[in-house]
Amino acid sequence: MGFFQRFLHRKEKDRDLAEEIESHIAHERDANQARGLSDAEAQRQAQLKFGNPLVVRERVWHYRSVPWLEDLWRDVRFAWRSLRKTPGFTAVALLVIALGIGVNTAVFSVVNTVLLQPLPYPEPQSLVRMVQNFPQGSFDSTSVPELNMWLHQTAILNQIAAYDTGGAGINLTGGDHPQQIQGIHVTQNYFSLFGAQFIAGRAFTPEEDSPNGPHVVVLSYGLWKRRYGGDANIVGRTVQLDGEPYLIVGVVARNFVIDDPADLWVPYQFDLNTQDMAHYFGVAARLKPGISIEQANAQLKLASDQFRRAIPNAIGPQSNFAVMPLKQWMIGDTRTPLLILLSAVALVLLIACANVANLLLARASGRKREFATRAALGAGRWHVIRQLLAESLILSLSGSLLGLLLGYVGVRLLLAVNIGGLPRLGEDGSTVALDTRLLLFTLCISVITGILFGLAPAISALRTNLLGTLNESGSRSGTGSRSTSFRSILVVSEIALALVLVIGSTLLIRTYLKLQAVDPGFDQHNTLTLAMSMSGSRFQTSAPVAQIIHQGTEQLKSIPGVLDAAVANGLPLEGAFGMSFNVVGRPKGNGPFAGGASYYSVSSSFFHTLKIPLLRGRNFTEHDDASSPGVIIINQAMAKQFWPNSDPLKDRIQKAPGSPAGSPFSESPRQVVGIVGDTRDQGLNQNPAPTMYIPLAQMPDGETALNSRVVPLWWIVRTASNPNTFVTPITEALRQSSSGLPVAHIRTMDEIHSLTTSRQRFNMLLLTIFGASGLLLAAIGVYGLMAYSVEQRTQELGIRMALGAQASDIRNMVLGQGMLLTLIGVAIGIGSAFWLTRFLASFLFAVKTWDPIAFILTPLLLAAVALIATLIPALRATHVDPMTALRSE
Amino acid sequence: MTPKQPPEAGDILQGTLDLLILRTLIFGPAHGHTIAHSIEQTSENALEIEQGSLYPALHRLEDRGLVSSKWGVSDNNRKAKFYQLTAKGRKELTAATSRWRQMTRAIGLILGESNS
Repeated sequence: MGFFQRFLHRKEKDRDLAEEIESHIAHERDANQARGLSDAEAQRQAQLKFGNPLVVRERVWHYRSVPWLEDLWRDVRFAWRSLRKTPGFTAVALLVIALGIGVNTAVFSVVNTVLLQPLPYPEPQSLVRMVQNFPQGSFDSTSVPELNMWLHQTAILNQIAAYDTGGAGINLTGGDHPQQIQGIHVTQNYFSLFGAQFIAGRAFTPEEDSPNGPHVVVLSYGLWKRRYGGDANIVGRTVQLDGEPYLIVGVVARNFVIDDPADLWVPYQFDLNTQDMAHYFGVAARLKPGISIEQANAQLKLASDQFRRAIPNAIGPQSNFAVMPLKQWMIGDTRTPLLILLSAVALVLLIACANVANLLLARASGRKREFATRAALGAGRWHVIRQLLAESLILSLSGSLLGLLLGYVGVRLLLAVNIGGLPRLGEDGSTVALDTRLLLFTLCISVITGILFGLAPAISALRTNLLGTLNESGSRSGTGSRSTSFRSILVVSEIALALVLVIGSTLLIRTYLKLQAVDPGFDQHNTLTLAMSMSGSRFQTSAPVAQIIHQGTEQLKSIPGVLDAAVANGLPLEGAFGMSFNVVGRPKGNGPFAGGASYYSVSSSFFHTLKIPLLRGRNFTEHDDASSPGVIIINQAMAKQFWPNSDPLKDRIQKAPGSPAGSPFSESPRQVVGIVGDTRDQGLNQNPAPTMYIPLAQMPDGETALNSRVVPLWWIVRTASNPNTFVTPITEALRQSSSGLPVAHIRTMDEIHSLTTSRQRFNMLLLTIFGASGLLLAAIGVYGLMAYSVEQRTQELGIRMALGAQASDIRNMVLGQGMLLTLIGVAIGIGSAFWLTRFLASFLFAVKTWDPIAFILTPLLLAAVALIATLIPALRATHVDPMTALRSE
Repeated sequence: MTPKQPPEAGDILQGTLDLLILRTLIFGPAHGHTIAHSIEQTSENALEIEQGSLYPALHRLEDRGLVSSKWGVSDNNRKAKFYQLTAKGRKELTAATSRWRQMTRAIGLILGESNS
């Protein structure tokens, strides 16, 4: 018989026992009757001899019970009843806890998704990303010769795959409406590296991924469903891409997730023997079992030296190839900011805890008589404490259930508005899910907070003096100075913590405003941008591309309300390609290159359309084409950095020096013809980078072919009014002028501008929510303490007024006490913030961590809020009627 | 935490009562009333116990698997619950009897010494 059986079916067993007892007494009565006793006497003696049946049943019942479990159940039921008796208190406490737990759950769900979740691939810990480290930093794009080097590292790596990061887009033609879709070039190992499963067909074969291989394509699940209705016989059919037939060899299963969503994949078909040093794709691989990152990097250092000898000047003397865990590469620099946000949000929880502790203390001191009565009736101190802990745990658990809901819905709403430039969150934060880790986190913090704020009233209950309390009049006890001073400490800490948060959010708001005030170097208003994919064999040389640009620009300008139009291979604020260069006639520096700069190829109307000012020299014209001498325009930052004491307009620039003949970049030097104003392409919080511009019409054919493969053409259209109203005529004009090329990624320049500050806006938004929550909670705390103290002192106030105190005296006394607490809290808060804001330094731009405005204005704001919170109970104190106050009790 | 209660006589005699019940059942299945009577009579009424205190002991023995029970009909033609010694109960009876003998002997020795 199992141990636990003893505790089962207790009611049934009790009925059985009752029956047994009845039978026993009946037998005894039979025996008594046999001895000649009367019926009544026989029954009486039988009962007498048996003793009290109820006591027997109780003893058996107790023996079958688990005392602590029953006590717990009783405590929970009692706590529930007592919480329901004070709905106002319970509602406020639940809301405070839900707020504190909710914001923590929200931030942790993001931390969980971005930092903690493993990558959704098989054996994710062995996946690495290839990088090139050099003294100034690190670089993650790869060229074909470098890929060839990677492919030879078979001692340390398995399954090396290259893939586009971004991509030019591919035009799905053949239907009535050509459509630009996201096509990614990959090498044949790509699908096995990331463990993609196929619901139909297969991955690319090595033959299909060789130079001059066949036109083949793998479809994504989404495109297969959307465009082909999930046709089961799709494999073996063809699809028209850029006007050419591609054979469909496979369809990838739905559960294959990548950070840059793709509609289809085509093989790169690299010629690995090329010397072309253009960096335009990424490489990932799997470490061999037993090889550590350090071992791999030691091996790669040797490989870097070999590579330097094999292809001189391809990489710098101090550059080294290296691997880095793929997850770490994806997380990038978002780790520290997320952890700082998590710490900040923990402060909100602390404030919430202090607040609820305060509420519970107020409630407990009002209940001292209840506890004393219970103690007098035989309840031990432990009983009372357990009771209080049960109440606080019920509060914290139900509050955090509410908070979990609040936090989850809140974070999804927040991410739908602004994803904050965070990786791994999917579209609008769709990968943020309620998983076990999140639920455990919420459960843990709710139990911890429940105990934290439950302990305060429990400790104060420990000090209950039974007799003294019972003798005190009415429920008005607990005005003892010890209890009040503890509660004052709680309120002071709340104010200090809230001040730290509000100062932090003020710093971020100031940062954001400063960023908004930064001049991007061009006019971003009333500008529409569109991407046109030039992939496909039609656009492997510069002339047809220049033709499309010329015709499109003319057609766009004929639309009423369109002021100007231009084309570039990249958009300002979105980052540009880098390009090395030499100034002709200058001695070369110690590196392989004399210098490096951002690099755009643009159409002649580019500067005019974006209103980038021409500072010296001349603009590009329609005549700067393939038949005229090469020209180049540089920005002011480049002029200042590389021509500090001379005139750049007198010099010529050789871009991509040292490129072998046949490289897409090889060309003759270009004359510098103009200097334009700076744009902030690395982000508004970065100094303008040296930048050079060349006319698209003058690009070498090889470079055009590479461009067509890697990036789309970006159309930039300036309109007289709201650009969104011009979308239809503009896309129609572009389609007609290009004989059917579709456009995609239609955005205004204002949207792009706001995207560049999305991370700062995200941080600001979050910290402002934290700060506002903290401020609100602290205000509730101050109000609660003062209101309570006024209520407790009604009698004292009545006496004071009866003795001649004026209403203003009473008001000032209460105000003075409230403000004293506030001032102490503010002083501590300023000190802590002074020390803590240094951790925000990486979030800030053009604002110091001890920004005087934040440190002066914020305490004033907080003091004002506290003043209002104190004023209400202070005014109530002046309305005390001395007669009523003295008579009460 | 339950308040401390004064120890009852039954608590002291608990082990003894268990032994007596097991010993009674050696002659075959019996219901509660029979067991109580048989203990009273064989002890020549020296151990007059409150009959009710028998039942917690019986149920404890049943939970420990020393006795088993089932409902039946008594000689008086009344429904009654009959208890029967299990194999485990028999072993326990032997062990408990010898423990008891050792203890009474020890106590006897002590009492004898203090008397002399």
